[in-house]
Amino acid sequence: MNTLASAITEAVEAVRAQFTGHPVEVVPDGTGGVFVTVEDVPVGPSYAPAVTWLGFQISAAYPDADVYPHYVGPLSRTDGQSHGPAVQSTGWRGQPALQISRRSNRRDAIVDSAALKAERIRLWLADQ
Amino acid sequence: MARRPVNPPAEGWSLTIPHRLWTELSAHLFPFGGGAVLLAGHAEGARGPRLLAYDLITATNDTAYIPGEYGHRALAPSFVRDAAVRARDESAAYLAVHAHGGLDRVRFSSVDTASHERGYPALRQITGQTVGGLVFTPHAAAGDLWLADGSRTPLAETVIPGGNLLRLRPCPVTATPAGPGHDRQARLLGDVGQATLNRLRVAVVGLGGVGSILVEELARLGVGTLVLIDDDTVEATNLPRLVAAGKDDIGQLKTDLAARNAQRANPRIRLIPKATRVEHPEALNELALCDWIFLAADSASARHWVNATVQQFLIPGVQVGVKIPVDSAGCVGQIHTATRIMLPGDGCLWCNRLIDSTQLAIDMHPKAERDAARYVPGVPVPSVITLNTLAAAEALNHFVLAATGLHDDDHDHAAVIHRPRTRQRDLQDPRQDANCRWCTPAGRLGRGDSGSVVQTATL
Ligand SMILES: [Zn+2]
Ligand SMILES: [Zn+2]
Repeated sequence: MNTLASAITEAVEAVRAQFTGHPVEVVPDGTGGVFVTVEDVPVGPSYAPAVTWLGFQISAAYPDADVYPHYVGPLSRTDGQSHGPAVQSTGWRGQPALQISRRSNRRDAIVDSAALKAERIRLWLADQ
Repeated sequence: MARRPVNPPAEGWSLTIPHRLWTELSAHLFPFGGGAVLLAGHAEGARGPRLLAYDLITATNDTAYIPGEYGHRALAPSFVRDAAVRARDESAAYLAVHAHGGLDRVRFSSVDTASHERGYPALRQITGQTVGGLVFTPHAAAGDLWLADGSRTPLAETVIPGGNLLRLRPCPVTATPAGPGHDRQARLLGDVGQATLNRLRVAVVGLGGVGSILVEELARLGVGTLVLIDDDTVEATNLPRLVAAGKDDIGQLKTDLAARNAQRANPRIRLIPKATRVEHPEALNELALCDWIFLAADSASARHWVNATVQQFLIPGVQVGVKIPVDSAGCVGQIHTATRIMLPGDGCLWCNRLIDSTQLAIDMHPKAERDAARYVPGVPVPSVITLNTLAAAEALNHFVLAATGLHDDDHDHAAVIHRPRTRQRDLQDPRQDANCRWCTPAGRLGRGDSGSVVQTATL
């Protein structure tokens, strides 16, 4: 069996570095990529709970493939409003989740790396 | 130029040279004779091991290609050393190239052979890779390979996938007459052309409307081996577009239907059905052993993985697609069919912005999450058998003429765009990004097995 392609291994290392201090779970997706879950991610006071997990797939086609979409644990808004566009209730890997659909237009593999995009998604959600 | 011999695929070691590299090499070798080194990756093939040339280092006359101690000319020691170091660092085969006079036949001289015996054992030790010598005329090639395991073997053929799919050998193959069944066809393709089709291993990725036509015609043409890739089953709404499908086929695998049709068209055909998505390692492993790939599945993942295989394993292909724009009010826009030739080393599907990286990410999701991941749910797109036929016919004719060397121009590989509503037909040359990580030597071009298109996650 071959080892995981170096592009994916490096991407996982970059995610761990980006989220230093957070547990990061990495599970093979069965077709050469991985599912990544970052635990205890703060999403700000607009949500209950204010801390949740952030999950995404780095597929075997990475870095040609975008990292899309992202998933967080079920959240409700503390102001009682419903979630805006690009956020919807769904499931991910057998558990309830919110799906965050933010595509990278004119994708640049460096700017839109798995690690940087994960942090941008967290900040974007916190801003909503 | 004199008509070139057509050679059916040979058993044994082969070398594939992307046509751009061959154009550059030809200009260097002919008519005056220069020296050069090809760097090549390695892969298994259906008929033997394959060397995959991805870069060319030409030796400048008089400084790097100098009057030799024994023969006419030889590569300078410093040039040989630098090229060997690159071969070692890149885990590549080192193949020294020169030209001889003549046209349809070529063989090493006794001076060539003596210099191989003096030089290659040491060079093989330096690189730890296959090393060897190649000699070319414009229509013929011979090679003397010194393998990493210590053995030595001749090169059976050199393949150049361009507008025509050229196969160069030390001397032309003599034809055995095609069977009576293919007599009329062989009157165009020649007996060697017919024999070529019979020895080819061709993949059809996607066995829907376009793919089912491709399979039917490839089998009737006499293609020897078909790899059939599709994980889908037949639905009632597919029946009007699937060749020879009936109501009983609903719910059956599309690979089963395609295999049945191919068998009926040619009982002696060899079939390798893979009822999986193309990115599945089993499907990718089969693709990497093919001589030609038809891409008739219209998903970003199919485009990406076939594109990757074309470039990394130097296997020519053709993408076939039909676009029928209909807006929500039912207005029909400009219908077009596209038949895009995919050549290794040439502007690829990424360079031509034909793969969407977000769509690709969605396609790579497990089935259970794929539909939910599509933020805007997909609606069925129009599909009509006559339009599929138009695109499929263009792709099949290109393939048959390329495989039997009948195209006028070895370099022409423009895409064909048909617009049936205006009856226009346009040719589009692909563009190439200078640093593409798939179709340039800076990327995975020709890296074969060491490039790991096929991978399995282990953590
Ligand atoms: Zn010679
Ligand atoms: Zn490219």
